Amino acid sequence: MSEPMLQVTGLRAGYLDTTVIRDLSLTVTAGEVAVMIGPNGHGKTTLLRAISGLITPAAGQVLLDGQDVTGWPAERIAAMGLVHVPQGDGLFPEMTVEENLMMGAFPAQSWRERRREVARIYERFPIVAGKAPQRARTLSGGERRLVALGRALMRTSRIMLIDEPSLGLAPVAIDAVYEAIAALKQSGATVVLVEENFTHVGGVADAVHILEAGQIVASGPFAELSVDPTVVQTYLGSLS
Amino acid sequence: MVTNFVAIVVNTIILGSIYGLVAIGMTLIYGTLRILDMSQGSMVMVGSFIGWGVLVVAGWSPVLAILAAFAATFMLGVLTQLVSVQPLMKRRNAIDFEMVTFITTFAVAMVLTNVALEVLGPFQRNVTPVISGGVTIHTVNLPYQSLAMAIVSIALMAGLGLFLSRTRWGMAIRAVAQNLDAARLMGVPVGKLYPLTMGLASALAGVAGVFLGGLYFAYPGAGDLPLLEALIVVIFGGLGSLPGTIYAAYAIGLIQATAEQIVGETWSLPILYGVILIVLIVRPYGLLGKPSEARL
Amino acid sequence: MTDHAPVTGRQALARSAFPSMTSGRWGLTAFAVAIAAAIPLVMTNQYYLSVMVTTLILLVLNISWNFVLGVAGVWNFGQLAIYAMGGYGAGIMMLRTSLSPWLALLAGGVVAAIAAMLLAFPTLRLYGIYTSLLTFAFAEVIQYMILNDGSGITGGSFGLPSVPGLFDTLSIDDQNRAYYWTILAIVVTVTLVLAAVKQSELGIALRSIRDAPAYAAARGVNPLRLRVIAFAISGFIAGVAGALYVCAEGSISPSVMGLTPMSVYVTMLVIGGLGTSTGPIIGTILVQIVATVLVTRPGAEFTILGLFLLVVVIFVPDGLAGVVGRYWRRIGVWAAEGENPAADEPPDTGEAVPDGTAAASQAEGSPDPHVA
Repeated sequence: MSEPMLQVTGLRAGYLDTTVIRDLSLTVTAGEVAVMIGPNGHGKTTLLRAISGLITPAAGQVLLDGQDVTGWPAERIAAMGLVHVPQGDGLFPEMTVEENLMMGAFPAQSWRERRREVARIYERFPIVAGKAPQRARTLSGGERRLVALGRALMRTSRIMLIDEPSLGLAPVAIDAVYEAIAALKQSGATVVLVEENFTHVGGVADAVHILEAGQIVASGPFAELSVDPTVVQTYLGSLS
Repeated sequence: MVTNFVAIVVNTIILGSIYGLVAIGMTLIYGTLRILDMSQGSMVMVGSFIGWGVLVVAGWSPVLAILAAFAATFMLGVLTQLVSVQPLMKRRNAIDFEMVTFITTFAVAMVLTNVALEVLGPFQRNVTPVISGGVTIHTVNLPYQSLAMAIVSIALMAGLGLFLSRTRWGMAIRAVAQNLDAARLMGVPVGKLYPLTMGLASALAGVAGVFLGGLYFAYPGAGDLPLLEALIVVIFGGLGSLPGTIYAAYAIGLIQATAEQIVGETWSLPILYGVILIVLIVRPYGLLGKPSEARL
Repeated sequence: MTDHAPVTGRQALARSAFPSMTSGRWGLTAFAVAIAAAIPLVMTNQYYLSVMVTTLILLVLNISWNFVLGVAGVWNFGQLAIYAMGGYGAGIMMLRTSLSPWLALLAGGVVAAIAAMLLAFPTLRLYGIYTSLLTFAFAEVIQYMILNDGSGITGGSFGLPSVPGLFDTLSIDDQNRAYYWTILAIVVTVTLVLAAVKQSELGIALRSIRDAPAYAAARGVNPLRLRVIAFAISGFIAGVAGALYVCAEGSISPSVMGLTPMSVYVTMLVIGGLGTSTGPIIGTILVQIVATVLVTRPGAEFTILGLFLLVVVIFVPDGLAGVVGRYWRRIGVWAAEGENPAADEPPDTGEAVPDGTAAASQAEGSPDPHVA
């Protein structure tokens, strides 16, 4: 078995006075879509932020494709190929859709390279292409989410962290977003996906981890956990 | 009557351009670093002295003076950020970051001003205008230096606008201003971007200083008034908004020019302060809204 | 502070007003005051004595400023104008009426308090940094109005003509000493009163507004009323300081206000430590020493002050009083073990940690020795 793309060991992280993640360990292999499920406030977002470097872990280790990135600043980890789509999309509100996409490929030096990537994204997401000259803050929630995903695809990534992509969206929009994620999975991307419940992840999840009170309380392949009665009861979502 | 009107228009353009150039650096800094940089005024002063040094002492060309002022104040700006802001960055959530950096940048201004005082003495030095002479319109005197200053400031403001919208680093600066976390996740090296931004803003102030030196004098306290003016403009225009700053600069220029015509020069500044007081009372966030909405 | 031996009424009063003061600490404070009082008896150089008188006046001003800064959490840059208004108020009344200088002190305080209360109203609506700018604009307007006053009341840029002082009947040397002791007494009184206020319901309510405005509002605390009161108190004290200035100097001019003096006083407060009781004392004395030594070279003086300010804010955010505070606690513990073993450990609640420069979470060592 090849080296895991992401290996988190004994992670402890939080904010000024509070510890949110306690002694958390997680392994994600290349090409896997790992889904973190858990109630709000139990550390899902904190976990992603600690992995991507927005928060410095208080203890523990994070290995990205074998490289120890623990305590690195977010911009450095990003440059190593980690793409984090934050909760609520994290777009630049006053920039146009196109500018947002261009920023997505910031590390790439040449203008032409970046324009080429933008064209690729437009092809893949025609909705986004249609909104190109508009300021990001004028878009609807669903459109913004798609732009955020498109932006995340602007550079080649080793791993993508996606925080609650279905949050606050209408069902139609959610479908569009998960279509995009499915396409991602198809292309072999490694993804850590965070959601509140099982409702939409059926089509994409490989492994599932249940996160409660800052710790992983259950892990397993989606096929197993999704039929486990206690799990289903707690994280009820209509599974189709 | 016509004279008054012409005077108002001319002075509005001149004052507005001065205020704009001096204030735009502060807005740039506030938008990205979320601090009020109190050392901007002293950067103007440094620029004036460099103007004096290059133009008067060495007798070289104005272009060289401008380039030298730009380079010197750029480096000073970078240094200021590294010394007075960067060390506080890691604590930024635990302290009143805005207020503390207000004090530390103010301390830097104190040091710069008083080193100048100690080394160069309190005397005012004449700085050769970049262009001398002037023109008279309807008995209103318009020195070419003022005109040059207005043109240069407008050019610089436009240049800054282009830099921010068309270049990679300019976009990065806007990104940091609009959403710091997201910018970092795109790989923007904020550790380098912050000092560069302060360097750039200080350089703009430094160039303003070369021209202002020619209009007034170069002396250690030369930064106090520009600092005040910049603060007034940015409050008025709303912190962190570049278009707001530019509107505010000319609006304040207009108010001051009008006040000068009506009540004379001595009362124009207090009237200005009075207007600011009223604006703040009526619209606590300045003309264009809350500072949290950075509109760089 | 749990059960201990029965206390006298006076002890109980002292404990409630100044919970962290033990008899050991009171002793040390009294000792310090005694030393300060003894100085004029020993110091014969009248120049230095008058510098100390000025220092004491500034101390009163800084204490008032520190109160509104630390307890109310408001960066009021108009304090100098209020101080000046107190001075001008007192001076003008003494010149134009036959008001005695002692009453003029009170009058100056009242004038300043009123001005401060007026200033309080608009500041409530403003967010953080805008308060600083508004109060600063206020100060600039006042200064300009005085400078350009053609009516002769304030004397414009020349200042007031000769104003009677408190001790005009004494010899010059005796006057210096009289002012020294009087103002020292005022400093001690004001410090104690303000320290008691900080611990009182008023003080606690003020701090709750500063630290947790939503919570305070939910508890029914009225921020406007409290801020006006805080400004009034600090304004009154600043006004008294201004009146003292005008009596001691015999005159007052617009040069007492402005960016330069303000930067000096801000430096004094920040270096000393904002919001603490001893902070202004340490800061004022330290900066005055530097200023006196370098009086002929203002450039060097301010450069050093600026560097000092920078270093303190970044590396010692509690100010020097924080450093002192740590030793103070050790003395407190040592003295307490004499009377009530294990009773008087000062609780680690961070009182004097305003939003100004210190960390919001309790830094090591309670910096304020007078208040728990």
